[in-house]
Amino acid sequence: MYRLLFLQFLRSRAVLASLVLILLLGVISIGIGHQFLSQKKAAIEQVESHQKSHIERNVALHKDDLGLLMYYVQFAFVNSTTHLAGLSIGQSDLNPNVQRITIKNLEGQRYDTDLVNPMNLQSGNLDLSFVLIYLFPLLIIVFTFNLLSEETETGTWRLVSVQTSSKSKYLLTKLSVRVLLIYAVLGVLFTVAKIVLAIPLDLNFMMVVLLSFLYVAFWFALCFFVINYKKNSGFNALLLLSIWLVLLILLPAGINAYLTNKYPVPEALSTMISQRDGYHTKWDTDKKETLQKFYDHYPQFQEFGYPIEGFNWTWYYAMQQMGDDDSAKDTKALRKKMGERETASKQLSAFLPNMHLQLAFNELAGTSLNQHLSFLDATGDFHEELRLFFYPLIFKEESGDSVDWTKFVPKYSDDGKDDKTQLRFMWPLLIATFIMFLGCIIIGRKLH
Amino acid sequence: MKKANIGLFMKHFLKNAFKTKVIYVMLTVFILLTAYAAVSGIHNYSEQNSIRLEHQEKARQSWEANPDKHPHRMAHFGTFAFRMKQPLSMFDYGIESFTGNAVFLEAHRQNSVNFSDAGFSTGTLRFGELSMAMLLQLVLPLILFFLGFSVVVSERENGTLKILLSQGADWKEILLGKSLGLFVLALLFFAPIVLFTTGFLFFGETSINPADSWQRFLLLFLGYALFLLILCFMSIVVSTTARSSKNALLTLLGIWLFMVVLVPKTSQAIGNAMYPTPSKLSFQSAVERDVIKKGDSHNPDDPYFNRLKDSVLAVHGVDSVTELPFNYGGFVMREGEKTSANLYKKHHDSLLHIYEKQNNVSRFTAVLNPFVAIKTISMAFTGTDFKGYVDFQEQAETYRYQLAQEMNELQMEYISTKKISGSEGKKHVVGHEHWEEFPDFEHQMQPLQSSLNVASLGIFSLLGWVLLSFLGLRYLSKKAKAI
Repeated sequence: MYRLLFLQFLRSRAVLASLVLILLLGVISIGIGHQFLSQKKAAIEQVESHQKSHIERNVALHKDDLGLLMYYVQFAFVNSTTHLAGLSIGQSDLNPNVQRITIKNLEGQRYDTDLVNPMNLQSGNLDLSFVLIYLFPLLIIVFTFNLLSEETETGTWRLVSVQTSSKSKYLLTKLSVRVLLIYAVLGVLFTVAKIVLAIPLDLNFMMVVLLSFLYVAFWFALCFFVINYKKNSGFNALLLLSIWLVLLILLPAGINAYLTNKYPVPEALSTMISQRDGYHTKWDTDKKETLQKFYDHYPQFQEFGYPIEGFNWTWYYAMQQMGDDDSAKDTKALRKKMGERETASKQLSAFLPNMHLQLAFNELAGTSLNQHLSFLDATGDFHEELRLFFYPLIFKEESGDSVDWTKFVPKYSDDGKDDKTQLRFMWPLLIATFIMFLGCIIIGRKLH
Repeated sequence: MKKANIGLFMKHFLKNAFKTKVIYVMLTVFILLTAYAAVSGIHNYSEQNSIRLEHQEKARQSWEANPDKHPHRMAHFGTFAFRMKQPLSMFDYGIESFTGNAVFLEAHRQNSVNFSDAGFSTGTLRFGELSMAMLLQLVLPLILFFLGFSVVVSERENGTLKILLSQGADWKEILLGKSLGLFVLALLFFAPIVLFTTGFLFFGETSINPADSWQRFLLLFLGYALFLLILCFMSIVVSTTARSSKNALLTLLGIWLFMVVLVPKTSQAIGNAMYPTPSKLSFQSAVERDVIKKGDSHNPDDPYFNRLKDSVLAVHGVDSVTELPFNYGGFVMREGEKTSANLYKKHHDSLLHIYEKQNNVSRFTAVLNPFVAIKTISMAFTGTDFKGYVDFQEQAETYRYQLAQEMNELQMEYISTKKISGSEGKKHVVGHEHWEEFPDFEHQMQPLQSSLNVASLGIFSLLGWVLLSFLGLRYLSKKAKAI
């Protein structure tokens, strides 16, 4: 009977067409993920080779004046992309994963964006996470909306109810055919993704697979719940599609509107202005005062004294430092606001399986906002390290040749790859699925 | 075909529609959604604009507060350009949330436009934004399909169609009457959105250019009216050709899924994959390479600038740059700025060209897909489209260039010819009154004509669809079956 149910199901042209379509879109999405990863990889390789020639060129030009040389030289700091990012591109299409910074003031450099086409951002990435989160529910709807109603509409339901011992067992068997098929498609896509994107079989990938299986289970339970009300096929299709629209588009969009209005970020613009004023106004103020403030921050450099005649690099880099020091308050406020946004968004999304899944995917793939913020923090540390290394050399007026430039290769941030147990992502989905199952059981009882 | 009969069918359709409870529920929900979208749209518009205006003023104040100093210091002090939201962006956010809002303008450097809303978002933004335009483009079509799918086919199923036709009614009258009836319903859903938007244009703080906003509003809402009309015809055509009402509904839902969700997203992704964006590093180093090839004004031994020096000296008949009638340092920087700005523009234009090629893949689907057509029209007339963003970037770059060159001119004119390099100290300075003289940046909305050009493809597509729908109805009225 199982074989017959399979054959009967696959005979429908709509079913076959939608299966082919989802497989095709799934494969396209993996291809897009692959292209994304190789673009990022190429960009990083380019940074590697560029940095060497960039430093060589500038050292050759300005080696007699280290202060001037350090005005030009940029050091790359790289947030390497995980293979999982090909599955869930998340925010990493928008946020740059390579920062090239000089030792001048940090706040003027670290928010620089990548080259992105805003139209692509608006339309969003067609990655596997999109196929899974948006299109699998649609496929599940197409597969289940007439599970029961097609029998009543074609008149076979009466036959079934006389011939089988348990109607619900028959329905569940029919449903299991669809469940198996969808899980098979999911399995195929994950296998292809694993191979094409060369994803390591680690805990994060397992978690992605597990969450996806749970998400599919949630939608099956939801659909089964709706069709058990024994309405006609048209009504079921419409109701399920409306639920899809509300869960996947209207509610997230509403939540987003709420977040945007509740947490505007004027701090970003204030930081921008205060870092400029902090540095540039020092050209006109008392040099000694600027140097004093600088030594308050870095007492270890006090030995370089207070040269105030004409232009000198000690004073210049002290001014640059003031750009960061004077904007520190705004930077902190900006960081705090971003944190508040992140927390609010996570809390709200815990109630929506799809939003939760997207954010969980992003976090597992290292493409979330939070991980980008950590990268920005790490950029700050990297920048500080460079400063502390070069400041004394510049102040001592060392020659550019005294520095071993070969050790300044692009540095990688090792953040975002901590394999801490990510089981907490599971709970909201597990609870939602459980509630839907419970609903099915209750309504299933009523049915008979 | 009698006009009276069309009216009769229309009235009958409406009477039937209002018999059910479901229409009231849908209308209420839709109005609530509209209100939420309108309130958050208006709030976002005024909040963002006041934040940006406040910062624009703050930046200007510190610009003007500068004491007498060397103009090149002012060129690096620089200023900021903030992108102002256009009034109708409260209706359609377009790509505004994905574009940067602020850019630092200084000499020698074209900085990136930073701080987009998308950059502040956890990724929830990618699920879409709740705007009134989104309700019209996404939700209302689904509602209309639901209200319209069974209109003809159910009358055939229950046999009333036969009776109507045998009593002298004409297919054309029936189809047109029912389509118009559905259209009246569509307008009913549309009305609150029109009201909110007109209310905002009347009472909101939209001082910039009211006449322009009203023209845009008119064109925009005419476009939407056409779009809704097409949707109504579409439902009726499907309802007439379908074998059963179930089939009619499923076909319409399929159309919605395909045209609203799958095609736009996939075509944009394909465009992006076909014409990959270069990495930022390759873009920047290409510009840098070209500038160095032409002549590096920061390199003391650069051959191009040495030749330039020789020719300038020859023209003025002097032996040394200190004898020139103007400050030579300013002159070199003026020439350097001119070359680097031109080269940057060349590369930036080719980058924009790549973006346009990416966008064209989905833009051209507008010919076949009225949903994409209305999207492009809507973004164009609300000034929230790609063109609007490029326009802002260009305005900012033009202003940056003027600022840098103005400062170079001041240096040439007022700074001692003996002072060739260096800008430190109080000796070689220009009076601070010059800072106030240079006007502040003001983001201008692009002219209506340019929006019209962008929207033209969409407009033609919609008109074509209306025509096609009429022809379709005519054809159907001859071929349709009553049983």
